[in-house]
Formats: sequence, structure tokens, C-alpha cells
Amino acid sequence: MKTLKGLLRGEFQRLIKYNIIQVSFGVSVLWLLILFLVGKEEAGVFLPLVVFMDLTMMSVLLMGVSLFYERQENTLKTLMVTPAPMWGIAVSKIIASIYLAFQSVVVVVGVAYFAFDIAFRLLPFLAFVLIIALAHGILGFVLSLFSKDFNGLLALIMAYMIVFAFPSIFYALGLMSESIEPLLLLSPTHVSLLMINYGFDQSIETFELIYGMLYLIIASLVLWKYLILPLYPIKGVKE
Amino acid sequence: MSKKVFEVKDLSFTYQKHGIKAVNAISFDIVEGEIFGLLGPSGAGKSTTQKILTRLLKNYQGNIQYMGKDFSQYGNDFYEDIGVGFELPVHFSKLSGMENMRFFQNLYESKADIEALMKRVGLFEDKDRLVGEYSKGMKMRLNFVRAMLNNPKFLFLDEVTNGLDPKNAKIIKDLIREFKEGGGTVLLSTHLMNDVEELCDRVAFISKGEIREIATPKALKMKYGKRELRVEYKDQEQVKLEVFDLDTISKNDTFLTLVKNNAIQTMHSGETTMDDIFIRVTGDTFHEDA
Repeated sequence: MKTLKGLLRGEFQRLIKYNIIQVSFGVSVLWLLILFLVGKEEAGVFLPLVVFMDLTMMSVLLMGVSLFYERQENTLKTLMVTPAPMWGIAVSKIIASIYLAFQSVVVVVGVAYFAFDIAFRLLPFLAFVLIIALAHGILGFVLSLFSKDFNGLLALIMAYMIVFAFPSIFYALGLMSESIEPLLLLSPTHVSLLMINYGFDQSIETFELIYGMLYLIIASLVLWKYLILPLYPIKGVKE
Repeated sequence: MSKKVFEVKDLSFTYQKHGIKAVNAISFDIVEGEIFGLLGPSGAGKSTTQKILTRLLKNYQGNIQYMGKDFSQYGNDFYEDIGVGFELPVHFSKLSGMENMRFFQNLYESKADIEALMKRVGLFEDKDRLVGEYSKGMKMRLNFVRAMLNNPKFLFLDEVTNGLDPKNAKIIKDLIREFKEGGGTVLLSTHLMNDVEELCDRVAFISKGEIREIATPKALKMKYGKRELRVEYKDQEQVKLEVFDLDTISKNDTFLTLVKNNAIQTMHSGETTMDDIFIRVTGDTFHEDA
């Protein structure tokens, strides 16, 4: 636990020094600008999509950036010869990623709540933000382990968006037939969107919410155990 | 008799990805308080051996004992005992030198005086500068401080003076000697024979994954050197060279007459250099990449 505290402190120090917190905050401000541009009437429709993009794509991307810097500077190698356990090093990164997601959601939803008088269910919303940010932080971790460089990471994120995120957005905007929904439930981003919609006071089937939560939690545990823990010490180090 | 810190028996390692056997049944001991040099050309197996002993590589064959206990029985507390100086700088470039050191030191129970170490290696004035602005030599000195942060008992140093000017290289070598005098043990991987001659108590030459020789530098010089004396002298305005057998030199009349009657220009024993021994033992040349 002592090393975890030190790792976390270092992780947050680097979020600031590497401008990751600042960039995340800047993106939140951009989202708010978009919401103000679309106006009060439409903001209620766009806000869940903005939170969805922020929690899914931004979580993946910012985790990828953090690991990209780590691999470029080969700092994992020197962390691996300290008493800090590998799981602790990985957990501190995931906690930092969840923090970024919360920071962004608090800024965007907080301002939107007061500016546009948007209704949301606070406790389920916060619980869902935690689960979605955890799952997508872990997903970003895995994608970066399988990318050789930053371009490779961007290509993987784009491929992931095309396959999993865009169909959900098109569906939410009514651009796709309702018959496709059962298939969309296989997508982690789609179940995330359902959970976010519920958080914004929309009616979602209970089974879909329970399924979504279980899906994201189980997928996170599987990726953690079978990909991150065994591959991080190998693929996280530049040779 | 000195206590064995590491006892390595029949150690082998194969990189599964390429099927390359990097280390092949090597055996050696490192005793407490010595500086043990692991020498060999690039790709010889030095780094793989060091990675196994620092537990960065796990699936090895053979037996390793650390402080008399099976290596596999140690947990992460093993790292409280050791300090590792990598060949290339590994720091967070957007943190200052001091921020880097404080972060790493927070992960250890035992804590050295960072400021004193930074002063010794000449980095104290630059402690608040970003590491990304450091020169290569400064980063290498910071690497050494990083290795010493936890008051280790055992130091793994890989090409520790690489990229340092003679003045800073001397500072690092002095610190290594002080560490040894304080009871510390060192595994030094290098191909700089100057460092070996100045620092190492014993050396192992490794080539193509196998250990070719283990001995003291002096014993190796005796073994590979020639028992001869080469004398250059002046004879009627001409410089001439004669070679004499060292074992019979005291009874060699030619030598005695030559020394008595001629102006001696130079006189060298046939002791060989570590560079020559390196080439002969490893069958390789310097800086050759595998």
C-alpha cells in the first residue's frame, strides 16, 4: 500500500507535468462551447453524447498517451526494479485515468446542470461514470500494449471507434434501424451509452442496465487478468 | 572466507520469440564486497544475465541463490537490497532531476541522502532543471544517483561511465570504490577495459552466451601475457630491439652487457593489455554489434 501511495502521487504529478490534465480540461471546455453553441433546447440531447464521447474515447486516448510517454522514455524498466509490484504500477495508471474522466464529467455536467437545468440521477450516474471510465481506461491500456508507436495507437483507436462507437452514435441520433439494437448490446461503448442515458433521467430497461454493468465489469476483469498483467511487463518496456 | 551473494549454476536462457539461446549453462559466484566485471561484446549475453539477476527475465533454466536462499523465494523486497544503473538513461523527461529522484525514492523503505549524492556527482546546481534538458553525461550521472537512492547492498551497473568525460567518469568510479569500501558488492557490465582495470576484483569474459574465463585481471594478464622483456637501445646512432626471456634474464650475458654498455631507449615487459585479452578470449573485436 505504501508503494501504491507513492506510485499514485507520481502518476498525478506526471498528469500535470506532461500537460495531460490541462489537455483534458481544455477538451471539457470545448465540449461546453459546443453545448452552448447548440443552445438550451438541444443541449439535453447532446449532453449524454458529449459525456459518452468523453468517458469512452477520451479515456482510451489519454490512457494511451500516458503509456506512450512511459514507453518512449522507458521508465517502466526502472520502476520494475523497485519494490513496487507490477499490479500496483498498472492500478495507479488506471486510477489516474478514472480521475481524469471524473474531472471532465464534473466540469461538463456541472456547468450544463446550472446553465441548462438538465435533470440527472446523481448516484447511479456517478456509479456508471466509474464503471465506464474503468472499462475504457483498461481498454486504452490494452490497445496501447498492442501498438508499436503513437500512430499505431491512433489507428487502433480509430478502428475501435468505427466498429464500436460510431454505430452507437448513429443509433442514438436515429440514423440506424431499431432492429440493430440487440447486436449493439455486444459493444462496450453502446452499453456505456445506455448507462449514461439512464443517468440523464432517460428510461432504460433494467435488464439492459444490469447487463451493461456486468458486461463492463467482467470485460475489465478479463482484460486485466489475461492481457494487462501478463503483457505489461513485456510490451511496456522498450528494448 | 567471503560470503557468496550470488551463486549461479548452469544458467541458461532462450528468448522464445526468436528461439535464440542468449545464455548457455553459465556458472559463477559473486562474493560479498567485490566488484565483479561481466565483460563481453554486444550480444554476448551480459545484458540477459543482468536482466535475470535483476528479475526482469523470469523463465530461465538453472539455479540461482541470492544470500544463500533460492532466488525464486524472494518477493519484491529483493529490490530493497539492490540498485540498478541501466546503460541508457531512464527518467521522466518533463520532471526535474530532483523530482525524478524523490519519486523513485518514495518507493523504497531505506532512503539515501539525495542532495548529498547529487552534490557528489555534480548535479546539485541543476537539480531543479527538467531532465529533458540534461546532457547525456548528466543523465548518466543521474542514473547512478537513481541506483544509489535506497542505500543498496548490491549494485548492478551497466556501462556506467558511458558518455562521461574523464573528470565525471572518475567521480563515478570513486563512488563505486567508496561503495565497495563500505561493504557493498557490484556487478559491472562493460566493454570499457579501462574501467575493468581500475575497478574490478574479478572478471568473467562472456561470449556467445558462454563464460570463457573467470579470474582476477592480474591473473589473466599473467596467463595471456608473454614472459619476455623487450628492450630498445641505441647502437652507433641506430635504435635496435632485442627480446629476452624473463625467466632467465638474470643469467643472460647479452642482456647484462647491453644494459651496461648501451643507451636504453625503452624497456617493456610482455604483459598484455585487457583489450588484447578481451579480443583473444571472446574472439571478437570491440563495439561489434550482434
